[in-house]
Amino acid sequence: MSKILAAIDEGGANTLLADAIASIPTLSSSGSASLGPFSAGYSVHGHFASGGVDLIAPSTVRIQHLRFVWQMTLSFGIDLNDFLPHFCLPRVCVDIPCVGRVCTPKICLSWPTIGVSVPFGDFVEASADFGIDVSLSAGQWSVQIAVQNLSQLQFGPATAGILFLIGAAITPLLLFIPFIGPFLAGAVDIILASIGIAGLTGFLGPILSPFLAGLKVPVYQQDKHFKVLPSSGPVDPDVFIELDAVSAQIQHSDEDELVLSVDISP
Amino acid sequence: MNASTDTFDSRALRYIDCYGQRFMREGTYRYHVLSRQEQGLASQEPHTIRVCPRKGDGRNGSKMTQHAVQLRWAKGRFAGSVDELEIEVGDIVLWNCPDPAAPAYEIIGDQEFFASARMLNECGFTHAFGTPGSYAWADAHGSRLGGVVHVKEVACKTRGDLAQWQQQLSKAALVMIADGKAEPAEIEIVAGQTVYFAIVTCKGISVTDRRLLGTSGGPGKDSHAANCA
Repeated sequence: MSKILAAIDEGGANTLLADAIASIPTLSSSGSASLGPFSAGYSVHGHFASGGVDLIAPSTVRIQHLRFVWQMTLSFGIDLNDFLPHFCLPRVCVDIPCVGRVCTPKICLSWPTIGVSVPFGDFVEASADFGIDVSLSAGQWSVQIAVQNLSQLQFGPATAGILFLIGAAITPLLLFIPFIGPFLAGAVDIILASIGIAGLTGFLGPILSPFLAGLKVPVYQQDKHFKVLPSSGPVDPDVFIELDAVSAQIQHSDEDELVLSVDISP
Repeated sequence: MNASTDTFDSRALRYIDCYGQRFMREGTYRYHVLSRQEQGLASQEPHTIRVCPRKGDGRNGSKMTQHAVQLRWAKGRFAGSVDELEIEVGDIVLWNCPDPAAPAYEIIGDQEFFASARMLNECGFTHAFGTPGSYAWADAHGSRLGGVVHVKEVACKTRGDLAQWQQQLSKAALVMIADGKAEPAEIEIVAGQTVYFAIVTCKGISVTDRRLLGTSGGPGKDSHAANCA
């Protein structure tokens, strides 16, 4: 049986996988999750950027600093009664000349619920160990790498600033609420503190990690019935070979290489 | 600072408003409490106020006793804390519905003098101003009466500031409307304070946020005391 071998070293793998990862279309999802004490709706989309590739024999492709660049719109409601003190307008009396004293009743207020919508974006990165997956489906060989292990997510520097953005979105909404003036500054601080960095990463982590954990990168795709020479005339038809078996592995000789081995027959 | 969410209108009372009416003659007075959508559909049983002869001085030796009617909004209608109220000549009744979810409403009596939307004599309207800004008010019934309420912002950084502010809230500002004049025409209060518009005699006015009237002119315009007629 004849065999074709193709090999690329780590430098080549870096280029190959960078192109392959960049070609992955934009991914998106939406849903709701807990953001500190709030239930927040979100819609997120993003794309990947490759990092440094490390080939580890016999079958691991490690990408350091695999990056997912994301944009998210976050929406949630804040019941201000949970954060602001119970407040009542006191009984107010006024002396009306020639009439007498008239008093209004004590009136207790209920703070409203405000809706907040905040768009923001950043990146998250991790080191990912990919396994090599070879399959034949519908007459086509496919070699792809799929994430098997993922390190802890590292959020980009803008993530901490998201709390500031949420605060900036809340403040103008609060300005419209009657009687909130004296409580305004404290309200924003208390709301942001209730979320905190931990609440934010606890919200973003479960949303973003599935994008990375579920990543599959196509490396090679070819029809099993493979045309090696095209027709050059009516009496010179296409020439095909059969790709009978495909395997891929990392081999270590003087350097690590990703080796693709293809058994062929006429 | 924007004050667009805080409007006021004696024709459409809300939870931070009160309407008060003195009753100067004996008799039985009936009234409805209707939301603005129900105007002219007085299908509910009216409430009653029986005004009896004055037996003596009121509390603290005054010639007037105040009676409060707290309204409730339930099942699409207003109900009073009392359906029938017995008072003495010269007493004042003050209505308020403290439910923020209740729709704007008005008190519609069976006598011309007895209506929150068109206040004549010995009555009043209060509003607590919750948002800083300058609020020009006018009479929706066409008189040139009007004024301005300047509401100052409050910034409380300490508990002491907060306590001081709450003390300020317990003092109301008074605007007297008598003989066709509103005095003072301009007043300054802090956010959260209440203004009592006391109508002693007039030909039937409202105290309405000028922005609700769609008339031109910013705060202060036409704000000096003018004739009712």
